[in-house]
Amino acid sequence: MQYPPIEFEPFFTWLNRPRIMYSPGVRSEVGFEMGELGGSKVAVYTDRGLVDAGVAEMVIEEVRKSDLELAGVFDNIVQDARIENINEGAAFYRSCSADCMIAVGGGSVMDTAKAVNILIGEGSDDFQPLAEQAGLWEGARPLPPHLAFPTTAGTGSEVTNAVVVLDEKAQAKLSITHPYNADIAMLDPELTVRLPPKITAFTGMDALTHAIEGVTSTAAEPIGDALGLHAIRLIFTYLPLAVEEPENITARGNMLIASTLAGLCFGNTMTGGVHATAHGLGAQYHIPHGLANAIMLPIVMDFNAEEAAERYLMIADAMGLPLDAMDASDAAGAAVQAVIDLKAKIGLTESRKDFNVPMEKEKLMPMAELAAGDSQVSYNPRYLEEEDILKLYLKAF
Amino acid sequence: MEYWNDESEPIRAFVSLFETAKTDEDLRNGLRKVNQLIWFDYTQDGPNCSFHVDCRGGNLLISAGKPGEDPDLTMSLSADDAHRSWSNKLNPVMAITRKKIRVKGSATGLLRLAPKLKKVAKIYETVLRDLGWEEKILK
Repeated sequence: MQYPPIEFEPFFTWLNRPRIMYSPGVRSEVGFEMGELGGSKVAVYTDRGLVDAGVAEMVIEEVRKSDLELAGVFDNIVQDARIENINEGAAFYRSCSADCMIAVGGGSVMDTAKAVNILIGEGSDDFQPLAEQAGLWEGARPLPPHLAFPTTAGTGSEVTNAVVVLDEKAQAKLSITHPYNADIAMLDPELTVRLPPKITAFTGMDALTHAIEGVTSTAAEPIGDALGLHAIRLIFTYLPLAVEEPENITARGNMLIASTLAGLCFGNTMTGGVHATAHGLGAQYHIPHGLANAIMLPIVMDFNAEEAAERYLMIADAMGLPLDAMDASDAAGAAVQAVIDLKAKIGLTESRKDFNVPMEKEKLMPMAELAAGDSQVSYNPRYLEEEDILKLYLKAF
Repeated sequence: MEYWNDESEPIRAFVSLFETAKTDEDLRNGLRKVNQLIWFDYTQDGPNCSFHVDCRGGNLLISAGKPGEDPDLTMSLSADDAHRSWSNKLNPVMAITRKKIRVKGSATGLLRLAPKLKKVAKIYETVLRDLGWEEKILK
């Protein structure tokens, strides 16, 4: 495929934190790396499921073997970062006199841990007023040492500077950014092999959504393109394999790298209509974020196809589709179909009935209003109004 | 200031923008839902360079200057960046990360209106034209 002439904004910035370390078993470096960062007394943040599955212990064991002191393990983190849970996490950090933290988990754990670290660094004990400011860049201070171990290959939260928090009262998701995130993203694919196929599938679709929306965003630029498009190549090659062969370290490792690449991409270029609509589904119907993205992705891609056809042409090429003499419009259609085929291949067949999402327009309207005001909707390549969003929801279910 | 001759010009333009925007049903309802006293503070460009919008309790009152009581939300930036912002030419993420916009108070409600900026920019263009300031329209 010949690279199409692509325009981008004449000025952009690229945020390049944190350092990334990759290797099966890289968790054994935890003592040295945390010591280098100046940490000695570690609070570990994880969830009950990962404790029960023995995954958290794989990291905790390395902490015990090192010169670090294990101050405590906070394993109460729930699905979707929540203000109260974040405040409890900060109180725990202080109560056990920790001076650094390790997060072991998926997006909810990593986002909660990032928010806890902001509270500790800013000397505050309530995240609510910070969440309401959305951008925490004014007067931001460096935060205590923080290592992040993702246990799913999807969220990219280990490298993004955003925290997505569920506002339980407003039933909405808020995105808060701070200049400092984790110090090191430690990518250890051995931590992901116990992930069940279904969760592997929808977290992988989350990563794919980050890559596709990052490349088609109105803020897209060449650095993001390079990372997002390679993430798509890896996901189309390795996601079916990771679902089929959970213990395949090559597949797991490549998916973890793809997720991080996609995280770096969308963390800088933002996302779009899939995320805006998926946030509504997550906040109002508690559909896991990756699954909500997987549901909305082909629908929103189809809606955007004509507006960003040349970008979808690059995506179709990265998917490995035989484009031959296809024009950009046909390639965009092929990319949409490839996403539908991939979902079928990895067993994502959920429908409306699985989540009790209503079909009536009036009942869907509050969610459409929420999505129309979501922070990500402005980055969609095609302008989206509430009426359009409503149609997308109806089409999806 | 790059776009303005004195501190009164931007306030004239922005107050006119909000007065016109509130005649649009979608924007009027959106602003009312914010339900806050908002101070748009451009005083870095002059002591009187600011205006406020009171959309509490179903009201929608727009006035030049600082509000008489403590605002729920203060958005501080330069009058030039405000001009870029209302023209939909200021990337909000970039603006926050480069500290061009400083926020005090809860911005959650107002941020929900950010996707409407495209519509607002069209109104702003008309307002500038009506004020005889076509040369200020950003292409």
